[in-house]
Amino acid sequence: MERRSFLKVVGTAGAVIAVDPSSIGQTLFASDGTLYKSYAKVQLVDRTGEPLTVEKLKTGENYVFNYPFAGTTCLLVNLPKPAAKDVKLKDEFGVEYIWKGGVGSQGTIVAYSGICPHQLTHINKNDSFITYRNPGERFEGDIVCDGHTSVYGAKDGCRVLSGPAPQPMAAIVLEVDDQNGLWAVGVLGKDKFHEFFGSFRRELKEQFGSKRRAQGKVSVTAQTVPMREYTRDIVIL
Amino acid sequence: MGISRRDLLKLSGAAAVAIAAAGCAKTPSATESGAAESPSGVGPGTPADLPKKAAPRVVVVGGGWSGLTIAKYTKKFAPNAEVVLVEQRSEFMSCPLSNLWVVEAIDLDFLMHDYLQAARENNYTFFNATVVGVDKARKIVTTSDGDMAYDYLVLAPGIDYDYSGWTTDPAMELRLKTEYPAGFKPGSEHMTLHNKVLDFEGGNFILTVPGGNYRCLPAPYERACLIADFFKKEGIEGKVILLDENEDVTIKAQGFHSAFEKLYGDYIEYHPGIKIAKFDLDKKEITTDFDDVIPFADAAFYPHVRGGKILEVAGVAKDSIFNKKEADINVLTYEVNGYPDIYCTGDVRPMGFSKSGNTANTEGVFVAKHIAAKINGKPEAPWESPLTICYSAVSMDPVLAISINAGYAYDAKAKRFQFANVYANEQWDGRVGINNGRGLFEWAKGLYRDMFNA
Repeated sequence: MERRSFLKVVGTAGAVIAVDPSSIGQTLFASDGTLYKSYAKVQLVDRTGEPLTVEKLKTGENYVFNYPFAGTTCLLVNLPKPAAKDVKLKDEFGVEYIWKGGVGSQGTIVAYSGICPHQLTHINKNDSFITYRNPGERFEGDIVCDGHTSVYGAKDGCRVLSGPAPQPMAAIVLEVDDQNGLWAVGVLGKDKFHEFFGSFRRELKEQFGSKRRAQGKVSVTAQTVPMREYTRDIVIL
Repeated sequence: MGISRRDLLKLSGAAAVAIAAAGCAKTPSATESGAAESPSGVGPGTPADLPKKAAPRVVVVGGGWSGLTIAKYTKKFAPNAEVVLVEQRSEFMSCPLSNLWVVEAIDLDFLMHDYLQAARENNYTFFNATVVGVDKARKIVTTSDGDMAYDYLVLAPGIDYDYSGWTTDPAMELRLKTEYPAGFKPGSEHMTLHNKVLDFEGGNFILTVPGGNYRCLPAPYERACLIADFFKKEGIEGKVILLDENEDVTIKAQGFHSAFEKLYGDYIEYHPGIKIAKFDLDKKEITTDFDDVIPFADAAFYPHVRGGKILEVAGVAKDSIFNKKEADINVLTYEVNGYPDIYCTGDVRPMGFSKSGNTANTEGVFVAKHIAAKINGKPEAPWESPLTICYSAVSMDPVLAISINAGYAYDAKAKRFQFANVYANEQWDGRVGINNGRGLFEWAKGLYRDMFNA
């Protein structure tokens, strides 16, 4: 199993604490108590329920899975080049944390929460304004939320490159097992789940049956499909 | 209240002048009753019904896109501050997207929002009153519902109209405001316009585009398109006559020209570089500065804009190169010159930024940081460019739109701002136009969430 450790910079003095979340298996409290949270370890599977393995991922394809809640979507991309490593990021209050990089043999596979931390535009079954941009598209190689044109570095832990977002999109922490299967284990960075569930009751009822169902935690497996199969309209502006 | 608003205004002005002249020390802002205990015995003196001030207080005047953003984010960045939003309306109506409601393409519900919700969710106080005076020396705001002390004051009153380019006759100005309102200050003006359009029976419907830096650059062109679309769909034999003081469409010109031409050839007449020289409201005709007489069945006359009147009352107004009576502020910090505890933001800023909701919202986040840094005893927040993200619908079914996205850069030598990183998306047809239309709604919903939710 490929173990991925996490570095957490606490406070502004620069004291660095190395933490491996999988070895803790519970909430890791950062200095503000919220920047890393482990959830049930969930295997990513394809539409048929077969484990989604590293070699099945197409480069540049936008994949969607729901994690850590039934109603919260995530974006997974196998980048054409290895992601950066040990990227220092800050939340909107200046609390620092470190995103370790991509997974897979080349470190190209990255996943992020599909909820924009600016104003909660999110990947859903009707539409997605959030996409990884391929060659020929504006902002090639970045992840963009076209709700208000926040541009994030896909290979940099979703660092904010431009636009109004006050902080990176939260990262989904992935692990790869010895069969090359992909697992989601937690969420790094400031997630917006609470605000999201507070703001979209009507939509959650329509798409998941009820807000309660949407708030159910994902366990065991998470179906992972190309965004164009998950979302009716992919909106790129 | 036994005292009229006009009296309050007079008194408060007199108080400010008297105290400034006497060089009185500032009233310590720790006492809520500072106004009531006015040593000079002048001033209205009725304290507002607020809990006793126990923390640095930020009073934000104006619950538009700027004030709402600043109230929320000041509290967020300086949680120990006490934030009071003073607004004269009891409910919020959005000017962005209102053109779609004017032609019945969306419900009014979409535009209406709840100030109390914004205050509850973001932990500040909504104070429903009209500000009638500011005592800058004693740091007291006088409202129709009493006085309140402030440590920091934000004046975000938005625009007023400046009819002086059309008429100096107050009776004529009043008739124009009442019978043919511009429809750029939400509420009754928009309702009047909505009803004019719904009941229109045919003929010329005149819209004007003012010069200067007016509120919402693309809105008159968008409005022309949507009203024309409405006429087309309803089979009304009407025509939108769009009289533009500017030499060309001021923003997204290519997109609007192409929509005028391809979608509304028989429904829109666009006349750039034209001013109205004379109104004859009884005959229902206008005369242009080229002596052309144009009859109209109905109209919405949009005059030049100026800074909200409260700036003048507070003594912080100054003509800018664009408009009259805008804010006299440091253009990089928004602090009033000579009064760094007072900020002026939103559509009264003199910098020539686009007077749009998104500009006010992103600027508001910066101003909140600037105020919070002072409260928190932190170094001054460095200037950040506002962002102008602006969608315009050119048709309603489906909603097809065009958009622009731009920041600003400061030229320190020339001491002025220029657009930076402009991205215009002016194609309204096909998939692109539909996506822009979807983008328009997603944009609005996100910004309403920002202002009214936690």
